[in-house]
Amino acid sequence: MDLGPYVVEGRSPEAAVFPGSVDEVRAVVALAATEGVPIVPWGGGTAASLGTPAARAGLVLGLARMARLLEHEPGDLTATVEAGMPVAALQTALRARGQWLSLDPPDAERATIGGVIAANASGPRRHLYGTPRDLLIGVTVVTGEGALVRGGGKVVKNVAGYDLPKLFVGSFGTLGIIVEVTVKLRPLPDAERLVAVRFDRLKDAGTAVRTVTGSDLIPSALELLDAEAGRSLGSGPGASLVVGFDGLAEQVAWQCDELRRLTAPLGGHGIAPLPDEAWSRLCTAARAAFATPAAVMKLVVLPVTVADVMEQGANAVRQRGLLSAWSAHAGVGVLTAAVFSPGGQADPAAIAAVLEDWRGMAGAGGGYAVLEWAPLTVKALVPVWDAPGAAGRIMQRIKAQLDPLAILNPGRFVAGI
Amino acid sequence: MAMAVLTDARKRDLRRELEALVGRGAVLSDPDELLVYESDGLTLFRALADFVVFPTSAEHVSAIVKLANREDLPFVARGAGTGLSGGCLPAEGGIVISLMRMNRVLEVDYDNQVAVVEPGLVNLHLSWAVGPAGYYYAPDPSSQQACTIGGNIANNSGGPHTLKYGVTVNHVLGLEVVMPDGEIVWLGGKTRESQGYDLPGIFVGSEGTFGIATKIVVRILRKPQAVKTVLAVFDRVEQASAAVSEVIARGLVPAAVEMIDRLTIQAVEDAFGCGYPRDAAAAVLVELDGLAEGMSAQTERIVQACRDSGAREVRAARDEAERQLLWKGRKSAFGAYGRISPAYMVMDGVIPRTKLPYVLARVNEIVASHGLRVGNVFHAGDGNLHPNILYDPRVSGEEERVVQAGAEIMRLCAEVGGSISGEHGIGLEKADFMAFIFSPADLEFMQGLKRAFNPTGRCNPGKVFPTRKSCGEAGPSAYRPHPIEEKGLAQRF
Ligand SMILES: Cc1cc2nc3c(=O)[nH]c(=O)nc-3n(C[C@H](O)[C@H](O)[C@H](O)COP(=O)(O)OP(=O)(O)OC[C@H]3O[C@@H](n4cnc5c(N)ncnc54)[C@H](O)[C@@H]3O)c2cc1C
Ligand SMILES: Cc1cc2nc3c(=O)[nH]c(=O)nc-3n(C[C@H](O)[C@H](O)[C@H](O)COP(=O)(O)OP(=O)(O)OC[C@H]3O[C@@H](n4cnc5c(N)ncnc54)[C@H](O)[C@@H]3O)c2cc1C
Repeated sequence: MDLGPYVVEGRSPEAAVFPGSVDEVRAVVALAATEGVPIVPWGGGTAASLGTPAARAGLVLGLARMARLLEHEPGDLTATVEAGMPVAALQTALRARGQWLSLDPPDAERATIGGVIAANASGPRRHLYGTPRDLLIGVTVVTGEGALVRGGGKVVKNVAGYDLPKLFVGSFGTLGIIVEVTVKLRPLPDAERLVAVRFDRLKDAGTAVRTVTGSDLIPSALELLDAEAGRSLGSGPGASLVVGFDGLAEQVAWQCDELRRLTAPLGGHGIAPLPDEAWSRLCTAARAAFATPAAVMKLVVLPVTVADVMEQGANAVRQRGLLSAWSAHAGVGVLTAAVFSPGGQADPAAIAAVLEDWRGMAGAGGGYAVLEWAPLTVKALVPVWDAPGAAGRIMQRIKAQLDPLAILNPGRFVAGI
Repeated sequence: MAMAVLTDARKRDLRRELEALVGRGAVLSDPDELLVYESDGLTLFRALADFVVFPTSAEHVSAIVKLANREDLPFVARGAGTGLSGGCLPAEGGIVISLMRMNRVLEVDYDNQVAVVEPGLVNLHLSWAVGPAGYYYAPDPSSQQACTIGGNIANNSGGPHTLKYGVTVNHVLGLEVVMPDGEIVWLGGKTRESQGYDLPGIFVGSEGTFGIATKIVVRILRKPQAVKTVLAVFDRVEQASAAVSEVIARGLVPAAVEMIDRLTIQAVEDAFGCGYPRDAAAAVLVELDGLAEGMSAQTERIVQACRDSGAREVRAARDEAERQLLWKGRKSAFGAYGRISPAYMVMDGVIPRTKLPYVLARVNEIVASHGLRVGNVFHAGDGNLHPNILYDPRVSGEEERVVQAGAEIMRLCAEVGGSISGEHGIGLEKADFMAFIFSPADLEFMQGLKRAFNPTGRCNPGKVFPTRKSCGEAGPSAYRPHPIEEKGLAQRF
């Protein structure tokens, strides 16, 4: 078959296999384990190049054929799904019965529920509804030794045994292949709206973030975009604070008015509703600001420092003669920053220097930074993951216990896992 | 596992050594002092430690743990001892590390909406500390006036407001932990996510078997602008169960949905007179919180959902005093059982909400078949049942029947796709029930995770995992007199 779609960072896998059942997944893993061939679990492939470059080619194990909604009981607000189901397809099925999975990761048409959980991916609505960590209640995996293991369950409250669902969220396919998940659902809100408030100065927008989080408002999303990222949403000059509200229609209306009242004294102006499709563009706003980014970094910092980090980070880039664009889930302190080279070809060393600047800024405030996307020439200069400290040793011990053959995505994750 | 048994002389030496580490007055080793620590809220299980130690810093805890390792002694963390599954019981012998003197709020950061606390802080005291600024700590177990945040971490505790706000793990960002080998490490921190495996996420709920938390970073939330509470009264349990699902089907996520049954209503009315109709089959309490705008429309939706399900009476509290009165009935249930029965055993199971009518009927049948009575008071919104089996420990054989009925109820919960614990944990009590819901491969995988943290098993041994050979069949062994009781040194009430 054509392995083209599964080539990551120039490396082609030895083969790509698409099992159609849990038993077939186990059989494939058992074979790979005997042969000592690394396995690359594969969902939609939207985040396949995230991570330290693979040292060895392996077997792509795709979940595309395991994509059914197995159970949806609206009265229980839970659903059980095969891991390969694309998020958008799941949402469509749930919406037909008045519910939704309160997660809005980027590229939901392609991204699979298993991949989203493995990558702990989320979108703007995480401000109110949390991340996969808060929504996954049960998980079935095939381990690197071919065993079938289930953790959690199908009920929303459950403390029997260790919380294995938490272990698999954000594990990037290094501890097991997720084959089935059970998630918590929510009823669809009556109404939803996204509005943007513009600020001439980023600093004032940062103050507005603090004002909103300390107010009675209950936004579902609270995004801060610099002028460059804002442009791709069609905003005018200056920074934008993009706020989502949902609930009863009168609650949404009241909150929009209250938002205007709170932000006007801080320099907020031009408050305007955004079209629905702007929701999905928020995550990619920074990447899409100029032509092709030279690198994309995710910075996790204390929420209150978001605007400062954006400002400093952008300055550091300008000093090196490069461009950048920034967006943030401001209320939770998660930033996406993209660096661009104005002249086209970027000098890897210059890009690497910017990334190190940024990582330093995140670390100075107790946070960290992950290189989300960069060409190999840049990855050769800047580690993808931040130094995990003493916790890294515990992570290594977990990997050694649970994937003793080290065949699941080896070497690509934090702490050399 | 075989651990060291200490001679009296060795005990004296170790006591002196512990005192040198944590100070005089911070070590107990006399049998009568140790008695206080021989069980938690579940008195069915008892075990005496060699020492109870009261550290005041992470360095203290680390030093105690290192000493325990050197001496091959088991050790266990203890908060307020309100756990209901024997989780903080020592192995016979070893060291109980009480965190009760580490009870400060170290830092509150309102801008970032986090607080850093010590593990011995009483849950409710955190809400008191941040309340004046308009904030609170969301996880609210019914024991919140006594239990500690460290204990909450270990048991991943929840309360009535779990339905909307989640359990402890949804509010913990970071932990400073003394690992079972004595190393002090940070898992996560003050930021909303941390890199790599979710170590804070898996430490929470590990029932004290992964190490001892010495600092905890939690989220604090803004108090809601408005709260509204509705009581609905039903003549049939099935109607009440239907109302629970109906409320949710109407597109709202209440902050809490609680239910109490007839026997409980009667006990509560006898004891406290909270104004619930004595002849009702069940009462459901629904609480909404959030924006003031739209609150009356939402309340109307709830009232209508209850009426449509057949409620004979629905009333919404008009003010805070009335709201407190409605909650009083729910909250005083446990105390009320004490008035109508010499003893009761709290069960803690979870089922899919839609299975409520069937399961409640079966629970009553099971308990009746053992010649016992049961009162149900529970978190209906998330399917977390608390059947409370009433009994008299002085009647010979009754306790064994309680244990047997409990095991059958747990099996029932497992059969309908539920779980054997929603909040009290597995501890000692339910270790042998784990096989009801987990396969040997599942359990082996969990044991692997435990080995990554606690390779020698000295940290809280004997908990969570099945120990008996005839795994799954036998319930927890019923009460046997402790040696010191036989010697007439202690009595059991
Ligand atoms: C343009 C762009 C922007 C993005 N922005 C954000 C963002 O703002 N925030 C954010 O959180 N994420 C972001 N991401 C990441 C991305 O949304 C998620 O990682 C993605 O949803 C993962 O889904 P997938 O099915 O494509 O997984 P894949 O890319 O196929 O896999 C992702 C990882 O999970 C593993 N994996 C996949 N399926 C399984 C399985 N069943 N079992 C075990 N392991 C598995 C893979 O081995 C790999 O390590 C972005 C990605 C892109 C392309
Ligand atoms: C009347 C009553 C009502 C209750 N209601 C609820 C309820 O609504 N919801 C609920 O979830 N629970 C409830 N419980 C159970 C209990 O209160 C909780 O499990 C609570 O979290 C235990 O806290 P504790 O401080 O008493 O811990 P303990 O009982 O002392 O210990 C419990 C476990 O935590 C471990 N531990 C304690 N401190 C630490 C630490 N610092 N680091 C690591 N491990 C530690 C112990 O080793 C043990 O395994 C109730 C109990 C009672 C008696």
